[in-house]
Amino acid sequence: MRVIYALGIRNLKVFVRNRTALIFNLLFPFFFIFVFGEIFRNDFIENPVSFMLAGIIIATVFESSLRVSSNTIDDMTSGFMKEVLVSPISRLSIAIGQFVSSAVVATAQGIIIFVIGFFIGLRITSPLTIIYAISAMVFVGIVFAGFGLFIATKAKNIQTFQAVSLAITMPLTFLSGAYIPFAMLPDVLKWVGYFNPMTYAVALFRAITLEKTHLPTSELINEELAFKIGGVMIGPMEALGILLAFGIVFLLLSTLAFIRVDFSRMNRIKDDSIEI
Amino acid sequence: MSVAKHIIEVRNFTKKYGNFTAVKNISFTVDEGSIFAFLGPNGAGKSTTINTLCTIFDKTDGELIIDGKDVSSQKASVRSAIGVVFQDSTLDKKMTIEENLKMHCVFYKVPRNEVEERIRFVLTLVDLLDVRRKTVAALSGGMKRRVEIARGLIHYPKVLFLDEPTTGLDPQTRARVWEYVIKLQREKNITIFLTTHYMDEAEICSKVAVIDHGKIIAHDTPFNLKKHHTKDRAYVTTSNPLLLEKLLDERNIKHTLKEKYHRIDVENKADLLHILSECKGDISDIEIRKGTLNDVFLEITGREIREGSAS
Repeated sequence: MRVIYALGIRNLKVFVRNRTALIFNLLFPFFFIFVFGEIFRNDFIENPVSFMLAGIIIATVFESSLRVSSNTIDDMTSGFMKEVLVSPISRLSIAIGQFVSSAVVATAQGIIIFVIGFFIGLRITSPLTIIYAISAMVFVGIVFAGFGLFIATKAKNIQTFQAVSLAITMPLTFLSGAYIPFAMLPDVLKWVGYFNPMTYAVALFRAITLEKTHLPTSELINEELAFKIGGVMIGPMEALGILLAFGIVFLLLSTLAFIRVDFSRMNRIKDDSIEI
Repeated sequence: MSVAKHIIEVRNFTKKYGNFTAVKNISFTVDEGSIFAFLGPNGAGKSTTINTLCTIFDKTDGELIIDGKDVSSQKASVRSAIGVVFQDSTLDKKMTIEENLKMHCVFYKVPRNEVEERIRFVLTLVDLLDVRRKTVAALSGGMKRRVEIARGLIHYPKVLFLDEPTTGLDPQTRARVWEYVIKLQREKNITIFLTTHYMDEAEICSKVAVIDHGKIIAHDTPFNLKKHHTKDRAYVTTSNPLLLEKLLDERNIKHTLKEKYHRIDVENKADLLHILSECKGDISDIEIRKGTLNDVFLEITGREIREGSAS
């Protein structure tokens, strides 16, 4: 526990200390509100600002969680991972420490946008919604931290990771309904979106923030808070299940990859000439 | 003296990187509580051996045991028995000095109530207490090295590996660090395993293994190494070189003329004294130098240990 906590605090400090990146990361979502805000002003959506903000908050959590996982690559190449790996702490707690710290940083960022959101038109009626929303952020943060760490352990250096994560992050966010409604997508992309776990994270988080989880699934379809794919209805509960399954698979895969990955080989790429 | 336990046992260890063999079939043991040094030039295989003993690299062949545990199959137990100061930087550059040391305490389960005190102590040792809130990335190379060493000395492992620990340190810090390392070894019975190319550091070790091109070419106490592989030499300046040379040649003593002085191999001190007394009126200077570990290396390999050294 002490290790997980210490690694979590460490990554949170790294996030807070990098002022430029911090400000940019916080401003960027609002830029999207201006760019895409008008798209959501249509007859189906009751509260376009809340709707838009919910999507942006959860997309930010997702992106941030992936980005923090890239710290792992940074640590590996900077040598710090050698200190971590030669110490007696278990590989499992190092991996868990990574997930938790990614989720913590991602959630922190989500909460900040959430708070700012209140000043520009986000409306909730029940205080419980805040608790549900934060829990959902932590949950989504951990799920995609597993995904991010998995990519991180597969990539050999920070450049590869950035290229790969950009190639994955962009389509996953844009085909999730967070910025562009599904209704505006061509059929082919719609289908791609149905296979995108982010779609369900966005739908679930919106349903929570708009306080509509209690409504029957069929009533949520118009607002894209639920989907009818073929004959199957996917409401908030089903979305939760999909995310849970996706998360467990990648948490397991990344933990395994992390335990087995040959860090000495990774270090050798850098130190070849001087380390013999 | 009681027979000490072998805390490290290495048998027929080989490490290859692709086609390149960095370490060739070496075997050695290290007594518990001793100071053991790997002495050799860069690229000799010192760091490869340390990295393998520390569970960071996988061996190609052979058997490596630390405190009765196999380095390849019982990595977790080996890791909890050792401490390492690597040659390359392994600091968390985004964090401050103090945060680096605190993290180390977490990794090595230093009791919470001792953390503050031990950090204060090691930082005083390397003279960094005043700058402990600085981020590592902002420090100079020498300061980073000192942080690295301080961090390695925080916890008390059974075996402490020091890979070129004092390279880049100023003389005072080097002396202080050494004083403390020897204290740790004596008081906590910590075995010290170091690599170095500083002769004076190797001199104070219990045993030295001289390593070159991945092979151990000599392995003994510094005293024995010098006794077997070096000779004392006398450097004599005289105004009558012919007489000195004649007397030396009569007794078959090897000598070489170097600029102004004669370098004489001392096999028998009484003989030399006799000769010198015969030409004492001509002699303006005498210096007798003991053999060093560098001479040992020179004698065995024909090269200076620092030759072609990059650092």
